[in-house]
Amino acid sequence: MKKETLKVSLTLMIYTLIAGIALALVYQFTENRIAEAELENVIKSMEFLLTDEDGNQIIDPKEIKDSVISKRSEMGNELYNDGIGRVISPVYEFNNGGIKYYILTASSVGYGGNVITIAAFKHDSSGIVLHKIKVIEYSQETPGLGAKIAEKNVQERFFPIPETGLKNGLKVDKDAGKQNIDPDTSKKEGVVKVSDVMTGATITPRAVVNSINSMYKYLTEKYLQGGGK
Amino acid sequence: MSSRLSEFTKGLIKDNPTYVQVLGMCPTLATTTSAKNGFGMGIAATAVLVMSNVVISAIRKTVPEKIRIPIFITVIATFVTIVDLLMHAFTYDLWKTLGLFIPLIVVNCIIMGRAEAYASKHGIVDSLLDGLGMGAGFTLSLTVLGSIRELLGNGTIFDISIWGKAFNMFVMILPPGAYLTLGLLAALFAAISIKREEKAKKQASQIQRSGDIK
Repeated sequence: MKKETLKVSLTLMIYTLIAGIALALVYQFTENRIAEAELENVIKSMEFLLTDEDGNQIIDPKEIKDSVISKRSEMGNELYNDGIGRVISPVYEFNNGGIKYYILTASSVGYGGNVITIAAFKHDSSGIVLHKIKVIEYSQETPGLGAKIAEKNVQERFFPIPETGLKNGLKVDKDAGKQNIDPDTSKKEGVVKVSDVMTGATITPRAVVNSINSMYKYLTEKYLQGGGK
Repeated sequence: MSSRLSEFTKGLIKDNPTYVQVLGMCPTLATTTSAKNGFGMGIAATAVLVMSNVVISAIRKTVPEKIRIPIFITVIATFVTIVDLLMHAFTYDLWKTLGLFIPLIVVNCIIMGRAEAYASKHGIVDSLLDGLGMGAGFTLSLTVLGSIRELLGNGTIFDISIWGKAFNMFVMILPPGAYLTLGLLAALFAAISIKREEKAKKQASQIQRSGDIK
């Protein structure tokens, strides 16, 4: 009996050992490639954020890449939390002929989990404008409903938002009670019209506007006040 | 050769893993919100199923009876992790879309079920065919289920628009839609097998009767 127990445990040990070695090898083999793929994804999103209305690159892609790589180690820390949205480090800063661009990342709770948005704010003499956004994490949202946030024509409803709109605090049209409003005029008032392109889903776009509000608050109240260059 | 072929084809309708064996219900219900998701889950599960079937069949004689389940689980979990790492590294966008579903494959009862019921008792080639067939049946079931739900809930199949948004029923995309569609499809498969049995019985009794006359 005792001998048999020993034999069984040894067999099990050998099998798990082989599995462990196999996994370690595959991990070693893919480790760098995974880090690169994640990095490429961040760079790709930022290149999209830093294009103008005609699709031209505002900032040299090489500068974006260098900036992302230099801030790689500080990724993922919480910078600010207003109870609704969390701003996550790092903050990227770019300069193009006196116009500054700030890129921030924030997350807020959606229908099934965190919804993460990155946004580019444009800062010139006339004030701060929300230039572009991209929702990068929405995997817990309901496909066909909340996950429609991934579509380009939906995300375009969130930008550009002038400073007047940002100061009011962004709202989705349903919460603002203004569902019959034109999408472009509503942006000036800080109302994001989504009820026509995302029927039946309010929680996910609400998470995105909450993230944008937190990023704007952090940028104006903390980052630019706290001696941020 | 024909028996070899039937190892493969039995998974499609006769022993369809989803509608007949009722295995792997968790991923079936959770991931079939669209045709694309169902198809992706089916393919990923098939890859793991084929690999684990082959390995388990190869090691079946060295595995002591008492600890076969922990060893099978180790093999399956190892393959799932390898697939997850490789997809993360080389097919980033697909990995992002399938997200949570990949680790879920570990607890997919089809893989454990086939390991226990088939691969641990049959040769490598048969186990490979069994894995391919069951995987194909699973993929097919999930794609059909996902297509129906996507069509009724969103008016599209594989993101291609079929009809306007006016017919959309959100309930089809939400969990109740999964149960409704699954129930109706399972009923369809049951009806098919009842019809087949009746036919077989009729034929058998006819043969008997003609034999009596003689």
